[in-house]
Amino acid sequence: MANIIRSASRRDVLKITALGGAGAMLGAQPGRAAGKTLGFMHESSFIQTYDDFFKKTLVPEYQKAAGVTVDYQLISVGSLQTRMATAAETGNGPDITLTFFNWPFLFDEKLVDVSDIAEQIGKANGGWWDSAKEAVIVNGKWKAIPFGNVGQIMNWRTDWFEEVGIKEFPDTWDAFLEAGTKLKKAGHPYGLELGHGFGDNHGWLYPLLWSFGAHEVEPDGKTIVIDSDETARAVDYCRKLFHDAILEDCLGWTDVSNNKAWMSEQISCTNNAESILWFAKKQFPDIGKVTQQSLNPQGPKGRFHILAPWSHAIYSFSPNIQASKDFLVWLNQPKQIEGWYASADSYYAPYMHAYDDAPLWHVEPRNLPYRDSLKTSHLPGWPAPIGRAQAEAVAKYVVVDMFAKACAGKSTKEVIADAKAQLQQIYKA
Amino acid sequence: MASAHTQALPRPVLRPRPAFSLRRWTEREGVFSWLMVIPPTLFLAALVGYPFIYGIWLSLENRPVAQAGTFVGLANFITDLHDPVFWQVAQNTFVYTFSATALKMAGGLALALVMNQDFKFKNLIRAVMLLPFIIPTVLSTIAWMWILDPSFSVINWFLIHWGIANPGPSWLGNPSIAMFSLIMVNTWRGLPFYAITLLAGLQTISPELYEAATIDGASTFARFRYITAPLLKPVIFIVTMFSVIFTFSDFQLVYVLTRGGPANATHLFATYAFDVAMSGGQFGLGASIALSMLPPLALLIAGMAWYMRGEKT
Repeated sequence: MANIIRSASRRDVLKITALGGAGAMLGAQPGRAAGKTLGFMHESSFIQTYDDFFKKTLVPEYQKAAGVTVDYQLISVGSLQTRMATAAETGNGPDITLTFFNWPFLFDEKLVDVSDIAEQIGKANGGWWDSAKEAVIVNGKWKAIPFGNVGQIMNWRTDWFEEVGIKEFPDTWDAFLEAGTKLKKAGHPYGLELGHGFGDNHGWLYPLLWSFGAHEVEPDGKTIVIDSDETARAVDYCRKLFHDAILEDCLGWTDVSNNKAWMSEQISCTNNAESILWFAKKQFPDIGKVTQQSLNPQGPKGRFHILAPWSHAIYSFSPNIQASKDFLVWLNQPKQIEGWYASADSYYAPYMHAYDDAPLWHVEPRNLPYRDSLKTSHLPGWPAPIGRAQAEAVAKYVVVDMFAKACAGKSTKEVIADAKAQLQQIYKA
Repeated sequence: MASAHTQALPRPVLRPRPAFSLRRWTEREGVFSWLMVIPPTLFLAALVGYPFIYGIWLSLENRPVAQAGTFVGLANFITDLHDPVFWQVAQNTFVYTFSATALKMAGGLALALVMNQDFKFKNLIRAVMLLPFIIPTVLSTIAWMWILDPSFSVINWFLIHWGIANPGPSWLGNPSIAMFSLIMVNTWRGLPFYAITLLAGLQTISPELYEAATIDGASTFARFRYITAPLLKPVIFIVTMFSVIFTFSDFQLVYVLTRGGPANATHLFATYAFDVAMSGGQFGLGASIALSMLPPLALLIAGMAWYMRGEKT
């Protein structure tokens, strides 16, 4: 049996290299006889203390508690999805993996149903946030244990807003536009990504769409409803915001761009995770002092945020499924999990209510809106069912490009028609 | 020769048939040539042939990541044909390839002609010229990211300080300029390859031809037109073919600088296929996009080969 698996794996490794993006193969696994070693794949965190805490504290503690070594396999930022795909396709890799965004839905068949321990873990920690469930429950089964949300909210310069007479962050998109118009005239435009990054564009454009009462597809997963007056209003708003308040370059931005622009004091407001404040405090303390963070503005139909979950899933090919479950239960015990959360300040907003007012939130009160954003956070594509069609729509930047094209000069009618045509094709409607 | 003949004749049957020698066997031309050809053939079959065939197979399947595929025939290609972004990507790729290749050809030829002259520090300068080609693409592209950055851009600094433009253009943010910027970066990177290959070609042209032409009163332009250009043609063909292939399937530049933005203005076949296959988890559809590069490339190359043959006769 082992031989069959191994030879199949080799063939499949060739297959995956054929896909072009997945050349980096997983190395040979250390012996996992009798569940002595568990492979745990994680993407390097922007917050170094977080990875250090796992390696230096949690690994030895679990070794002591259960006699099991956890091999914490760090991979470089941006390559987790290809590595996850390689492991899933070849049936060879770590036992447990970190997953982002909607990946539990994409890798559904290759992940173990962890509903049993999810309930248990939730109970031990005051219950799960609803948004956590939205991120990992696939067809009624928990396919991962939610860990934390790397939310996106508005980061803004208090000094420049004050310069134009604004003390509080604008509560509505209209007030946001008004403030931005003044700020751009004063030489401090907003820097909101409209390009092809992986997070900072979706981070504000989906919430913008939703808060105008629009969405792409109905919850039935078939009816395309992007062609609506609400969408048209959101697009018109975005075009005006772009011309009056946003730096022109944002159309070509990727996810590094706004951080660079922030630290070089080019922009007065952006939409990002709290790493921007964390980094500013460390490297540019003067900028850190005048960086404030607030919830996204609200529109006529409410206030929304993007859900950006980190969760932990067990591969179904793992020979150590029970040992992996045991480890995740242990990891999510309050003592361990709170320490791990705290090692990253509050970069990963806990998905469990026991930590709603935990000390980690008070280390940096400016991060509190990230916790509050969880109440109004959804995955891109919401309220349509999350899955392959939705993932394809995100990968093709249907919503982002609808807004970007309008900003670059196309008519509202045209850009919505384009988006509609794409969605019809993707959802086979 | 004569003595060998007389000695050998009397007892030909007595001579024992030489034992089989592996060494002698492998030295036979028929065997040796196969021995030399088989390893690279196997290597190519495993690392190029297999992925290629598998890619074709994938493109005929509905194959979501982590799920078994189902054969769907040409459905993916039909989907592509109805995808407006696919057509934009196709157009982008052609504009990118033709513009960058033409610029590299003109610039490379000019550079090669200059480098073919005799001047001080010739070798050093030739080596320096190769730098853009030697530096890993991702690294040099990150440098370009700064050069094209709106506030740090050295180009914009000059434009502003000389009073030409204020503010400077958004090199990667403006959809029309973004493609131009990428073509420039690609040209910068690919120029040395052209220059050094054409320079090698130039050096194979016998100086006597030029001398004879000069004596016959040919002008510089005439010497280029009737000696350099025709003799350089085969080299130009090869280098253009390579360049077209590399440029057509370019990935790194776009991936680092814009990832296909703004609004798909710089998306190429390779980056679009990657997004659909990896981020979207649609391996079959992604493979069909990547494979769509093949027919136009094959046509281009066949066309060029045909053109070159036509010239010779």
